[in-house]
Amino acid sequence: MWVWDVVCGFFAHLVSRSNPLWLYYPLCVVVAIVYKATKCDEPRKIAYQAGHFFVSVSLGMFALALVFYVITLLF
Amino acid sequence: MTAPGRPDRSPFAALVLGWILPGAGHAYAGLWGKAALFFVLITALLVAGLVIGRGTVILVRAPSEGNEVRSELRLWYAAQVCAGGPAIALTPISQYMAAEGTIDWADPLHEMGTLYTAVAGFLNLLVMMDAYTRIAYPRRPQQEDQEEDA
Repeated sequence: MWVWDVVCGFFAHLVSRSNPLWLYYPLCVVVAIVYKATKCDEPRKIAYQAGHFFVSVSLGMFALALVFYVITLLF
Repeated sequence: MTAPGRPDRSPFAALVLGWILPGAGHAYAGLWGKAALFFVLITALLVAGLVIGRGTVILVRAPSEGNEVRSELRLWYAAQVCAGGPAIALTPISQYMAAEGTIDWADPLHEMGTLYTAVAGFLNLLVMMDAYTRIAYPRRPQQEDQEEDA
């Protein structure tokens, strides 16, 4: 149950008014589109690759943030 | 939509044009679609950063700090100025707004705005290099590659 509380606390903090974390999403979308547009030429491929990039980075950020959050609770 | 490649054009000119106006290097290379995409996204990122940071994020120096030197501002500005013309045009506006009010350096929104504008600069650096390489090393048409493989 302790781990469950930690995970719930983490996601509750993410949507709090004082946390501007959501601003990383539009930033990540723009970075994904520009970066993939320099690598690919076909619009459909750019869209697919940018979507893949965005999802991977977002999930990676969540995982990393969760790890750091647990570490801060431990020490 | 393959890159046409313009061997008659100067890659250095594409680099400089890309710095003056985001996407102009690609327009010079004949890639108008990509030029429009890069211009819209990079300029939007700069303006969004300025709005998020309440207009006080593109600073060469801290006006309200008196003689105190904030050396990190120069590092951020070095990244921001890579976005070229729009960043330079927005600098006096930001500097004026910072002089008019006080800056909360610990405000997360100020930090986020600074990050947005700095990332816009880094992205324009990437776009400039892409425009340079597309002219300096034009990609061969797919047909030629297939013929070589055969």
